[in-house]
Amino acid sequence: MSINRRNFLKGILASSAASMVGPSLLVRSAQAAQNDPGIWRITGSHWGAFRARVYGGKVVEVKPFEMDSHPTDMLNGIEGIIYSPSRVRYPMVRYDWYKNRHNSDTSQRGDNRFIRVTWDEALDLFHEELERIQTQYGPWALHAGQTGWRQTGQLHSCGNHMQRAVAMHGNFIKKVGDYSTGAGQTILPYVLGSTEVYAQGTSWPLILENSKLIVLWANDPVKNLQVGWACETHESYRYLDQLKQKVADGEIRVVSIDPVRSKTQKFLGCEQQYINPQTDVAMMLAIAHTLYTEKLHDQKFLDTYCLGFERFVPYLLGESEDKVEKTPEWAAEICGVEAEVIRELARAMAADRTQLLFGWCIQRQQHGEQPYWMGAVLAAMLGQIGQPGGGVSYAHHYSSIGVPSSGASGPGAFPRNPDQGQKPIHDNDDFNGYSKTIPVARWVDAILEPGKKIDYNGGKVTLPNLKMMVISGCNPWHHHQDRNRMKQAFRNLETVVTIDFNWTASCRFSDIVLPACTQFERNDIDQYGSYSTRGILAMQRLVDPLFQSRTDFHIFTDLCRRFGKHKEYSRGKGEMEWLRELYEGCRDANKGKFAMPEFAQFWDEGYVDFGAGKPWTRHAAFRDDPELKALGTPSGFIEIFSRKIDRYGYDNCKGHPMWFEKSERSHGGPGSDRFPLWLQSCHPDQRLHSQMCESEAYRSTYSVRGREPIYLSPEDARRRGIRDGDLVRVYNDRGQLLAGARVTDDFATGVVRIHEGAWYGPMDESIGALDTYGDPNTVTQDLGASKLSQATSANTCLVEIEKYVGEVPPVTAFGGPVEVR
Amino acid sequence: MSIPSMWKIIRSPSTHLSLGVLTLGGFMAGVVFWGAFNTGLEATNTEEFCISCHEMEANVYQELQETVHWSNNSGVRATCPDCHVPHNWTDKIARKMQASKEVFGKLFGTIDTREKFLDKRLELAQHEWQRFSANKSLECRNCHDYNSMNFDNMSEKAQVQMRRAAERDQSCLDCHKGIAHELPDMLEGVSEAFAQLEQSAAVSGFDTGKTYYSIRQLPIYEDPQLAVEAGQLNAATPVKVLEIDGDSLKVELSGWRRTKGFGRVINEDFGFNISSGHLSKAAAQNDQLVSGFERKEDDMTGLEWERINAVVWMRAGSLAESTEMIWDYAKETYQSSCSVCHTQPDENHFDANTWPGMFNGMLSFVNLDGDSQAVILKYLQKHSSDFSDDKH
Repeated sequence: MSINRRNFLKGILASSAASMVGPSLLVRSAQAAQNDPGIWRITGSHWGAFRARVYGGKVVEVKPFEMDSHPTDMLNGIEGIIYSPSRVRYPMVRYDWYKNRHNSDTSQRGDNRFIRVTWDEALDLFHEELERIQTQYGPWALHAGQTGWRQTGQLHSCGNHMQRAVAMHGNFIKKVGDYSTGAGQTILPYVLGSTEVYAQGTSWPLILENSKLIVLWANDPVKNLQVGWACETHESYRYLDQLKQKVADGEIRVVSIDPVRSKTQKFLGCEQQYINPQTDVAMMLAIAHTLYTEKLHDQKFLDTYCLGFERFVPYLLGESEDKVEKTPEWAAEICGVEAEVIRELARAMAADRTQLLFGWCIQRQQHGEQPYWMGAVLAAMLGQIGQPGGGVSYAHHYSSIGVPSSGASGPGAFPRNPDQGQKPIHDNDDFNGYSKTIPVARWVDAILEPGKKIDYNGGKVTLPNLKMMVISGCNPWHHHQDRNRMKQAFRNLETVVTIDFNWTASCRFSDIVLPACTQFERNDIDQYGSYSTRGILAMQRLVDPLFQSRTDFHIFTDLCRRFGKHKEYSRGKGEMEWLRELYEGCRDANKGKFAMPEFAQFWDEGYVDFGAGKPWTRHAAFRDDPELKALGTPSGFIEIFSRKIDRYGYDNCKGHPMWFEKSERSHGGPGSDRFPLWLQSCHPDQRLHSQMCESEAYRSTYSVRGREPIYLSPEDARRRGIRDGDLVRVYNDRGQLLAGARVTDDFATGVVRIHEGAWYGPMDESIGALDTYGDPNTVTQDLGASKLSQATSANTCLVEIEKYVGEVPPVTAFGGPVEVR
Repeated sequence: MSIPSMWKIIRSPSTHLSLGVLTLGGFMAGVVFWGAFNTGLEATNTEEFCISCHEMEANVYQELQETVHWSNNSGVRATCPDCHVPHNWTDKIARKMQASKEVFGKLFGTIDTREKFLDKRLELAQHEWQRFSANKSLECRNCHDYNSMNFDNMSEKAQVQMRRAAERDQSCLDCHKGIAHELPDMLEGVSEAFAQLEQSAAVSGFDTGKTYYSIRQLPIYEDPQLAVEAGQLNAATPVKVLEIDGDSLKVELSGWRRTKGFGRVINEDFGFNISSGHLSKAAAQNDQLVSGFERKEDDMTGLEWERINAVVWMRAGSLAESTEMIWDYAKETYQSSCSVCHTQPDENHFDANTWPGMFNGMLSFVNLDGDSQAVILKYLQKHSSDFSDDKH
């Protein structure tokens, strides 16, 4: 371009405009980086947004995004994700499957012997198997419905890619519900008219301002708020800091009801109330009994906003069902909390504004519906639902719920479904009498007992006869229960295809494994703040895909090419065109409300901020006008008694919340004579489920002699001759695993913990083989929570521990397959 | 020279020049004049002329550059006059006369800022839309002809839409508004997609005695002047037209309501929480507007319900003859919005009274305006296991 006067003037204008705007965030980071070689890029993750310095094609430094005032320690594990020895490097096919295809010896599954193939061959095999399943059987034989915590990014969200591609070829079995909140999300629509677990909650500023008592019931937000569904902002921590101050100043009383001294309890320095595991409902019933008998309940609220209290009271008073009065003395026997302490807590709750904050662990157990339902009943009796700082929440520990929403629109995503009007190659909707949607945690039942009819949420589900699975964006060999049962089941499957960037246990038990790249090897866009929608974040590719890995977009475009649907699949657009479109769609939706720059400017700057939202109270609209803002329950009111559930006639979930004994329970409960320790497998502190377990250096900061830690009380350790740092064998009738002992006062006698997400590393493919790293789901039971939700019951689990004295096997969980040449 | 004396000269017969010279000269002068006029006219038909005004250059021209009509694979560009100046002479002159109003606006500063332009955009756009509507988008079709379209090369979705459009010889802009410039803010609170649905589904004429379906949530009134609000009609709700009074319709809304409270919420049928709309407190209690019939207890909740007819007034508009297009929109929006994070459950996975709880619980994850929420929820309820043969 020649320099003429006009361009010259334009140039001056542009540069002066830029100087008025001031240095962008990117410029600032570039300046900071002046002394270090390489360039800085911005991206996001479940663990938060960060900037990475890339030098010589390698990520060499990671530092938190400036907006993040409370970055998680887990950012230290990011580099280890990219450069993990467990990366899937090449397309791999299981050795015996390669020789015999779908007639392979499936008992060899898990021996981890694989053959390296080319991408073309791998995709041909994948396509041929889809084709075979659809023609030989039908859509009922294919399960491509398991999805979960994919890597972040709206365009490359891998479950969307897999399901869109597979759906363009043929129909398949899908799931409903998830492993995190299966019981909660099923019961609460009957009671409070929404899933609650995934809904925005009362804003923290209003809680801090109005609550006098906060009850953390089995809830550890300081641990769990480190991660988020979309890019996490960690905004909640500012409020937790304020709460800590208010606890110190005596302005708010916080009680943590938990068998364990949680990270949150220690952070806040609040009261700790020990309770026997799995007995929460008994204690809640006793609180309700105190409220009712001492006339501390809000009868006016119950009359105006609730239905069925009069049918619940007889149970409380011992006039119906089990004919036992639910006195604090009755509860104390079961839950291990003194009757007087229960009474005192009930009175304190009724005395002033009380906010109940529930965690998810107590609904990840047998009868997991009951504590959530009973929590709602307590809140209804207190009459504070819909008031700021009162009522009940089931989600303040999740994805910064409680941080006010900005009100802006976030970006859409790559479409999960084929476009309207599209017909699959095999347009067959005949599921042969099987259900085409199954409760998420019952798929292993389906493989083991095809055709079995089970109760589910008021209906019947006929479990399909699965022959093939396609797994993407999740790790079933982490999130499902009872590994040895899974091993048995997988022998019935003909073909399993897994697409992942990591050689997880799910890859080990698959037949075809395709290497996806990590989210740091592709360009993407994400919402900053899952619920607060604080802004939009550019996820700039840090490095090119490692080894032979590819984006899921690339993989599934090539799969679709094999049946001539690649154009329909990608809509003829590439990565940057899609990103531009998602961004522009978001910009359109925000037009006139939130200013967003042009795409090019956004991509350069890396972030658009929408600002903070306004505080809001959950259920305030309902409290204000219960008629027009009716709840989504059958009656529109809070249902303390549900006629609908009562009609189902289930024995393990009846018309109102009840105390049910568990199939296994510690502290004198069933099975505790043989296996006295309750194993809790809650969400990890230093992973996101099983993600980041592969990050070697970071894992070594918490592992014990290379194994996953098991936390136990000094008393339990002493009785078994175990010392902190010892290798121990954890076992029950279902399985056995090695773990490293962490002896700590935080745990009560009879209570042990292994964080879920520890990678499964069996000694070999045999059923019953010792797990060498410490996956708690080696020993958990695979049992539906009830006929209502059929959710996971991972936390109903008893074990015994012994000091491990045998020959110490190496950890087999990491490092990929054994390549057969 | 005064005007009367000039008029006199023109009127006087020629005394020096022959008829031939005069005729020829007149012809020559005509040619010269015509040439100059036409050249001038053509000059106003170039992009340079169009964007010589700041309003055009700063607003619509910038927007055009972001679109496929500016830059595309084949290198063909549509400039301003290609779309905005009729190619036929008479229409062209008529459009030029009209455009002089916009030049007036330029000279006298009615549209001299972006804000003023945006305020005026709807009006300006509507002029063009009317013109395109009248000539069936002739300027588009100078390049894009239904007869030359190879439908087989289109995506399946496009095929359905385009074949339908071709059969009806539909005007392109019926669906493609905003293809080259940003759309004006059309109706406050109504999304673009909804505005489009309304464009294609709304009927314009009404017959008394006939039933129509609301396309979105609509206000209802107690009086034909539409002065006293009586509540709100929910989306996809049938109403029977009883009387037409200018732009107002007297309609009958039938349904069931619970007797607990003020009876404000009207549901479609007994025992089903499928909202047809709601009444103001005053209207709900007004026997003149609401007539009650039989009452019975809903076994599932123990609450009493009453069958009612409400007779109210509403603006004539945003009503469709059937729910077909409304459900099409709802289905597509449901499938795309609710699959961002997870597989969306099949419509018949839940019953009608369970859907509100499931749907409300997930709303914070999706960007849906109020009308879309209402129409999707109703779509799900009306296609739930209660209404589907294929239960599971």
